Amino acid sequence: MNLKFHNKEIEGILTIIPAREVKFEEEMEHYNFSPAKSLKLKMAMGYNKHCIVEDGVCVSDLLIHGLNHLFDKNLLIKDEIDAMVLVTQSPDYFMPATSNVIQGKLGLKQDMICMDINQGCAGYIIGLIQAFLLLEQEEVNKVLVLNADVLSRKVSKRDRNSNPLIGDGASVTVVKKSKEQNVIYGFIKMDGVGAESIMIPAGGFRTPSTAATAVEDEDRAGNFRSPDNLVMKGDDVFNFVQREVPPMIEHLLEKASCKKEDVDYYMFHQPNRFMLQKLADKLGISYEKMPNNIVANFGNSSGVSIPTNIGFNIGSKLLTEQLNICLAGFGVGLTWASLLMKIGNLRFNEIIKF
Amino acid sequence: MENIKEQLAELLEVESVNENDKLADFECWDSLTALTIIASTDENYGVTLSNKELEEAGTIGGLINLIKTKKGYEK
Repeated sequence: MNLKFHNKEIEGILTIIPAREVKFEEEMEHYNFSPAKSLKLKMAMGYNKHCIVEDGVCVSDLLIHGLNHLFDKNLLIKDEIDAMVLVTQSPDYFMPATSNVIQGKLGLKQDMICMDINQGCAGYIIGLIQAFLLLEQEEVNKVLVLNADVLSRKVSKRDRNSNPLIGDGASVTVVKKSKEQNVIYGFIKMDGVGAESIMIPAGGFRTPSTAATAVEDEDRAGNFRSPDNLVMKGDDVFNFVQREVPPMIEHLLEKASCKKEDVDYYMFHQPNRFMLQKLADKLGISYEKMPNNIVANFGNSSGVSIPTNIGFNIGSKLLTEQLNICLAGFGVGLTWASLLMKIGNLRFNEIIKF
Repeated sequence: MENIKEQLAELLEVESVNENDKLADFECWDSLTALTIIASTDENYGVTLSNKELEEAGTIGGLINLIKTKKGYEK
């Protein structure tokens, strides 16, 4: 589906990363593979270290830390927040919405909208889309897109398929009405037939967590995980991304009458380096324009990999210039979505530790 | 497709491969090797394979036949 938005802009981006860094080698002993085989995986996928929360840390903890940072530095004023859209797959509770919990803890005004959205890899794009829609309202002038996940808490330490790449993180993106005229192009598709490609099978109402769902079994590839853990069908996801993402980007650029070379950066969700390199090759885009170093430095924090990518690779650049940027997220759902927009002259664009 | 055996030998980290060699018996066989085969088949032949299909193909010969068949289909 083609999307189009008018006169909206990003004012600032803050990313909050857990201070705890774990090296790939530290966890190799948990895997049911020889060290040589695991090191080969590390090389191919671009694993190195990942940032994960301490036991018990929730997305609201990361977000409240980040929001207080912005309030303390006078980069954001509480009363200006007209809506908070929290995109997460690891909420504090089933109910109420974690965005409501954050509103209460921070003492924000009642005259606002709080909503949680359950989306992952494409979640940052979905959050921005929702913010643009809310900003169509006369009385909504500033929306916070909160994107956060602590999925390391749901990954088996003995799962070489998911554990080395998982990362935790949160981000706050301030979105507002733009004084200057602009057009933001978007594209989105979903395919629920692939719902089981990336999932946490137990813990919801369909299969509540019990002692039995916590028992780890070995899969055909030699990884151990339980139904309470996150499971990813690597081959399905790889094939889906290589099949759907390049045509999506070609289509988005065509709709916007924009040439590939006129895009300054392709800031994509980063599942692993291998997948990004294959995408860049297929699209004929240089690795410089499509950074792929987030998993090696932070891990894959689902949708948050996009703001992390922006902060880490072009953080200071975006404080002083405006660039033409293509954003894309793809994964759980299955969902794939992209945006082409100008981002720049930001009030803030940094990564802080929790 | 002429040098497919050489390509597979390289991915499987051996000097050469025979049609009857079982994929699962290669020393380096694991999910990563499977993924590199899936990726290179996509790149070189435009053919999409799943782990299940690789498993069912069983041998080098079975894999080559599968790629040939799918290449015919998908063209």
